[in-house]
Amino acid sequence: MFDIKLAGENAIIIYFGDESSPELAEQISFYTEFLHDSLGHLIIDIVPSYTSALITYDLNVVDHQTFCNQVSEALAKAIFVKQDHLSDLIEIPVYYDHEVGLDLERILVEKQLSLPEFIKLHSQPTYLIYTIGFSPAFAFLAEVDKRIRMPRLATPRIQVPAGSVGIADKQTAVYPIDSSGGWNIVGKTPIDLSLNDYDNLKRFMVGYRVKFKPINRQEYIALGGQF
Amino acid sequence: MTFKVIKSGFYSTIQDSGRFGLAHHGLSQSGVADEHAYCWANHLLGNDVNDAVLEITFGGCELLALIDTCIVVAGADLGFKVNDKSQHNWQVFAVNKGDTLTWTTPKNGVRAYLAVQDGFQTEQHFNSRSVNLREKVGSLIQVGDDLLTRPSKPCDTGKAMPAWFKLNYQEPLSLRLLASYQFDMFTEQQRHTFFGQTYKIGKASDRTGCRLEGLPIENTPATMVSEGMVYGSVEITTAGFPIILLKDAPTIGGYPKIGTVFSLDLAKLAQRQPGCEVRFEMIDIETAQKLRREFNQFFTS
Repeated sequence: MFDIKLAGENAIIIYFGDESSPELAEQISFYTEFLHDSLGHLIIDIVPSYTSALITYDLNVVDHQTFCNQVSEALAKAIFVKQDHLSDLIEIPVYYDHEVGLDLERILVEKQLSLPEFIKLHSQPTYLIYTIGFSPAFAFLAEVDKRIRMPRLATPRIQVPAGSVGIADKQTAVYPIDSSGGWNIVGKTPIDLSLNDYDNLKRFMVGYRVKFKPINRQEYIALGGQF
Repeated sequence: MTFKVIKSGFYSTIQDSGRFGLAHHGLSQSGVADEHAYCWANHLLGNDVNDAVLEITFGGCELLALIDTCIVVAGADLGFKVNDKSQHNWQVFAVNKGDTLTWTTPKNGVRAYLAVQDGFQTEQHFNSRSVNLREKVGSLIQVGDDLLTRPSKPCDTGKAMPAWFKLNYQEPLSLRLLASYQFDMFTEQQRHTFFGQTYKIGKASDRTGCRLEGLPIENTPATMVSEGMVYGSVEITTAGFPIILLKDAPTIGGYPKIGTVFSLDLAKLAQRQPGCEVRFEMIDIETAQKLRREFNQFFTS
């Protein structure tokens, strides 16, 4: 079921559920692609997120009510097919250490974990991309193991270095560029995910899966990692 | 065939109509803050509606023409002069190689637009020349930069915007709001606080968002899981203050939104500086679409 709401003079937002879940994320990913295929000629942008998809459309060719009707009709016809995104597993090398993981020491004390235990808990799961935003190519990954979940910092940092890997509650992510941010930083990837390389924009897609691969200091440096 | 940057000014960036089709990768729409001034500037020159212009905020900018060409300056009156002689905004003006163009300080409005024939030919990023500093896409113009242009063509020197289209950037501004997103989650009393007061534009406002100061809305709805946001969405922070999301805003966010401001009113808002007063009133979707469609048709026909 879905609920369509007004979002702006040329935008609607479709709510597919109340609670985010891997199943809902897969459905939203499917319906987003479906709508793109069936109404792409009217659509400017679709932004899928945890429970919703925002659509902006060309108001010069279609009005609000007509567009809502077309979306409803299209969705009524859509038959959800679970998509196999397993081939799209993205591996990101991460150096987990105090010298790049600004909050690691505090987390280990608070959670009473050794560094190897922590690394295992963070790097073992395969994470699903629920949404992309905040900054370009910033992918929100979930779910983080309960034993290492941490709330956002009370006061966000003015500058989190690009490549930093953070945790906020059940989400984890890599900061593609230097930016302000309140996530708990636990490590850093040597890989440049910024728009210095335009291909990075398309590296992540909602519905893809991501796995972190622990690397040591030498490997981090060899891959171009900065301190 | 360029304009050489002699003084970069406080905040001058190249902008066009924006970057579309990539919001699902987290890329903002970006683009000019004042679409009214932008569209008129390109229209008078016979340019394409998407041609890139220089958006000069507050002034302090000086350019040296290294080409004979035609320009239009539209939007704010920032004391525009050519070779120390004051010139009018909103009309086609011929500049010659060696001319110096300056913008000093805001006299009326805060953002001036310099349009050149065929638009500035600066570097494209993802099919748009718009600069977005928050995303590190492009940068402010720098002293010594060459802002590339195309060879000049004959132009209608003196062609001007009819006076009745001119907006008064000093008059009180009422922003028309669509009842979108979480509008229904706000109580009667909370809406009364929102629509019943005159807000002041806060100092921390920029191309990403306009922060308003006033009486807080109490007991605002809790933050939610992040969802897509559009140009003009009005977030209400946990402390109860509105933030109007503008062209450089992130594509998703988790504050509840009380509505969405009509885009042509956001163009007017782009000319107001911190301390100016704004209010809100309602607009329905049919009226908003009709007005925006008329605006688009005017500049494309």
